[in-house]
Amino acid sequence: MKSMRADADRKRRFDEVVGIFHTELYRYAAWLSRDPGIAEVVVQETLLRAWKSLDSLRDDEAAKQWLLTIARRENARYFEKKSLDTIDIDDLTPEQSAMVAQSDDPQLEEMRGAIFRLEVEYREPLVLQVLLGYSTKEIAEFMGINPGAVLTRLHRARLKLKKSIDEAATA
Amino acid sequence: MKCHEYREAIATDPSGSFDGGDDHATACPSCRRFREEMRELDVRIAAALAIDVPLLRTPEFTPADATASAKVDLHAGRKGTATLPVWIGIAAVLVVAAFLGTRLLAPEVALPSLAEQIVAHMDYEQDSRRITSVAVPEQTLRQVMSDDVSTMDTGRELVTYAMSCVINGRAVPHLVIQGTSGPVTLILMAEEKIDDAIPLSGDNVHGVIVPVGNGSVAIIGEREEQLSEIDEIGERIVESVTWKT
Repeated sequence: MKSMRADADRKRRFDEVVGIFHTELYRYAAWLSRDPGIAEVVVQETLLRAWKSLDSLRDDEAAKQWLLTIARRENARYFEKKSLDTIDIDDLTPEQSAMVAQSDDPQLEEMRGAIFRLEVEYREPLVLQVLLGYSTKEIAEFMGINPGAVLTRLHRARLKLKKSIDEAATA
Repeated sequence: MKCHEYREAIATDPSGSFDGGDDHATACPSCRRFREEMRELDVRIAAALAIDVPLLRTPEFTPADATASAKVDLHAGRKGTATLPVWIGIAAVLVVAAFLGTRLLAPEVALPSLAEQIVAHMDYEQDSRRITSVAVPEQTLRQVMSDDVSTMDTGRELVTYAMSCVINGRAVPHLVIQGTSGPVTLILMAEEKIDDAIPLSGDNVHGVIVPVGNGSVAIIGEREEQLSEIDEIGERIVESVTWKT
């Protein structure tokens, strides 16, 4: 009986943690992998690993970073296992194209395409800052790079996006 | 603060929440315009990043999952410390989830047969059946086979895929070797005892499950391949396999 209650408590805690961060988790995985199908697989594997290591999460306040850390590792593992190279931006799958063109707003589609084309070393810190609200220090710790490198990458990411959007506007 | 310093700082953080930022923007119309451009850019970036999210599908968990611990080091940065074997296929996780989900929701529903499970698994892991000349690392192959297979002769054929996959609730080696007419899949099931050979047939594949001692081996080729080619490879594998259990 005690064991059933403990299992139920564990499941409830897990559902609360995952329920709060699922949207951010999926979006992070999707922009990291640039593939909705891969993102779903990464999210599923992340949830399974998170369930197994839930006891190692001492503070639920740290749950977001904890889940994203797992997702980052699962994404890397997925690409390593599949021996996938970088995505050919001119040869997107239907799912990838759908991800870029999800909206009827051409400006939104343009920006999504521009972010899609960013190299991952620029795209990831941008996603962490703008989508997930990470500070420079948090991004540095998460990605394992120094804060100066984070600042440089954010700067370059925005300038590349601005250039891309400006070129599209004048075309 | 000089203009180039300000613009560099704004491009890393359009909120402008850095020392001297507001003062410089007040004093410099050009940089103020640049700041507004960056802020407008960020609004567009945020909107673009907010893609649609599919409904959350939580995998079905078993009590055994809860006790198997996989440590996650929050401060590991790029180098992970997760201890789960990397060769456990993601497909294995999803198949277990589906299998357990079925049992929990409708225990009276008949489970798919062994042949049906294997064909469904082949459809799921279509990527494994590529024609390629890239062999799996020897260590990966050893690790995948280590629990179940004592010996096996793959001959001169190249093993290009090796993954531990769940069939009938148990993790088993799933290998692909490059035969002369294309990839041939082998699923080595040390504890699936069958009395007679069972034919396999799917939309894209065909083959057979053959009894081997107290277990069985599924040998599957592409639909357009001759069964004789599959038979020849299969015969060699079957004669050379010995189980650990």
